[in-house]
Amino acid sequence: MRRRNITAYGFLAPYLLIFAAFWVWPIIYSFWLSFLFTRRQPWTFNPNTTWGRLVEDPAFWNALKNTLVILVVQVPIMIALATVLAVLLNSTLLRARGLMRFAFFAPVVVGEVAYAAVFRLIFSEDLGFVNKALAAIGLPEVAWFSSPTAAMALIIMAVTWRWAGYNAIIILSGLQSIPDDVYEAATLDRVSPVRQFFFITLPLLKPVILFCVVLSVIGTMQLFAEPFLITNEGGPGSATETLGLFLYLQGFRVLNFGYASAVAYTIAALAVLISLLNMWAGRERA
Amino acid sequence: MAELTLRAVRKSYGTVDIIHGVDLDIADGEFVVFVGPSGCGKSTLLRMIAGLEDITSGEISIGGRVVNDVEAAERGIAMVFQTYALYPHMTVRENLSFGLRMNGNPRADTDRRVARAAEILRIDALMDRRPKALSGGQRQRVAIGRAIVREPEVFLFDEPLSNLDAELRVQMRVEISRLHSELGTTMIYVTHDQTEAMTLADRIVVLRAGRVEQVGRPLELYGNPTNQFVAGFIGSPRMNFLAAETIGTIGGGTRFRLVNQGGAVIVLPLDRPPAPGEAAVIGIRPEHVAPAGAGDCDLPLTLDVAEHLGSTSYLYANTQAGEPVVVQAAASDGARAGERIAVSIPAAQALAFDAQGERLR
Ligand SMILES: Nc1ncnc2c1ncn2[C@@H]1O[C@H](COP(=O)(O)OP(=O)(O)OP(=O)(O)O)[C@@H](O)[C@H]1O
Ligand SMILES: [Mg+2]
Repeated sequence: MRRRNITAYGFLAPYLLIFAAFWVWPIIYSFWLSFLFTRRQPWTFNPNTTWGRLVEDPAFWNALKNTLVILVVQVPIMIALATVLAVLLNSTLLRARGLMRFAFFAPVVVGEVAYAAVFRLIFSEDLGFVNKALAAIGLPEVAWFSSPTAAMALIIMAVTWRWAGYNAIIILSGLQSIPDDVYEAATLDRVSPVRQFFFITLPLLKPVILFCVVLSVIGTMQLFAEPFLITNEGGPGSATETLGLFLYLQGFRVLNFGYASAVAYTIAALAVLISLLNMWAGRERA
Repeated sequence: MAELTLRAVRKSYGTVDIIHGVDLDIADGEFVVFVGPSGCGKSTLLRMIAGLEDITSGEISIGGRVVNDVEAAERGIAMVFQTYALYPHMTVRENLSFGLRMNGNPRADTDRRVARAAEILRIDALMDRRPKALSGGQRQRVAIGRAIVREPEVFLFDEPLSNLDAELRVQMRVEISRLHSELGTTMIYVTHDQTEAMTLADRIVVLRAGRVEQVGRPLELYGNPTNQFVAGFIGSPRMNFLAAETIGTIGGGTRFRLVNQGGAVIVLPLDRPPAPGEAAVIGIRPEHVAPAGAGDCDLPLTLDVAEHLGSTSYLYANTQAGEPVVVQAAASDGARAGERIAVSIPAAQALAFDAQGERLR
């Protein structure tokens, strides 16, 4: 037994070493960093300049507010949309299902830079397809990149476009695990299809949907690529600056590693907290 | 009143015909069992009656009303599925009351019906459990309960007991029988277990490959099957079939030579004897094979395996040419493999079939 264990750990060793060097150590080290004043060499222990600054930094609160707004608006919209998509994908009426599934999943596979560039193009204020389409049907054009609200909406749309299909595929697998005969029994019980959806499908999908919500919360808490690439590093001004972007700017523009570490730990803690809240709210009641 | 009529009912999936024209009349309050081998279309037929499956052509009426274009929900039937199909996230009570609640049935009436179903099925103690926390037999009861509370005009059961162990099956069989006599509702019950069919049915419908082979009371099918398929399907262990050849007639009887038995001859009284030289099959049930000398055609056999069940014994034997014959004998203790035994076929119990399997009468 022992020898076999040693062999097993021998095979795992290269991975474990890399994992320790590039994951475990940075995580521990950054925790230590978050208590250091890092603007000047040598670094000194001074939590006031990191954790202390965090609570009174308006830029941090702005980023936190932006992140939470996106979270509260985007996650429910996206999950609802993903559920509808999943039901459509599962429908026997749908043709070319394989192709559809791939199409909905595809945005996740597209590179972030490419997708951001396409969004910038189609939402471009004077050349973009979206504004032209709005004008064509007689609606006012929208200043997607210079209005704070519109820029926020743009980020939400982009993130939703990118991840709704992915979540739909996960929810679809949940849908497919509900046996047909449960619906047949409900049909014979004279329950309409709409009620079947609300009283059978949704309750049975609850665990899967909860899983998607938790994944999305974690993803949105770290949101970075969209505000960085689409709205020009959180523009206009810092109207779409998220926690992830704020962390990046502090860490790699200003090179304030101590402060950035404190932000990173805050993001992780918030993600865990919100996820736990979700799981508590959606827990299985006996 | 819920009598049920099928007229030339057919079903095809694409170009594949599954049900080839079924005609059937089921009286109000009757317990009818569809029986047949796997894949013969029992479930399909049942689901067409339920309205879960379209019919390709023909006509189904329930209680005198043609229901071809009536939605499943409006047909006044309830179905118990082989897989139970309970709502997994609801308690037993919620499972039973769901349909009624969704249709705005008055609360007091719903409660009354649920309580009555629970009492009939003895599941009162389980009302607040989820299906996950129930045994197979308990789930099956809940599934039946869900059908009962609807107070349907017709009950459909699709192999409701096939997921249960042997003992529970017998117990539930008795309960379903009791249920039928208590409710007096028309019931159609699908199974491929001929024992279930024999014990439950007022009438049995034997299906093969989408066709009705015979319809009749259990003992009618047992004693007077119209063809070799029904003869072989009803009864356990199944009827022995011995290859034979028509030799001619003698007195009022037809003489058959058992070709795998060194030319043993049996004479059966037939109204329309086949021509001499024609191939035939002689059928005799294991329980009708008599001791040597007590029948009309003695057969020396070689014993292969003997099963002693205490009250009775099954002897699996072979004819000279290796044709298998099963003999049910009164608890015989002695018989051993390889031994030679002698039995006899009583002509009064033997049936004859032509080469196509049709009964010769
Ligand atoms: N959706 C379908 N498409 C094509 N063929 C089908 C379909 N559903 C069933 N069949 C075929 O119809 C035939 C009858 O099926 P059915 O389920 O009615 O059999 P059954 O008598 O209930 O068998 P079992 O005892 O195994 O339940 C089978 O040959 C099956 O392959
Ligand atoms: Mg079946």
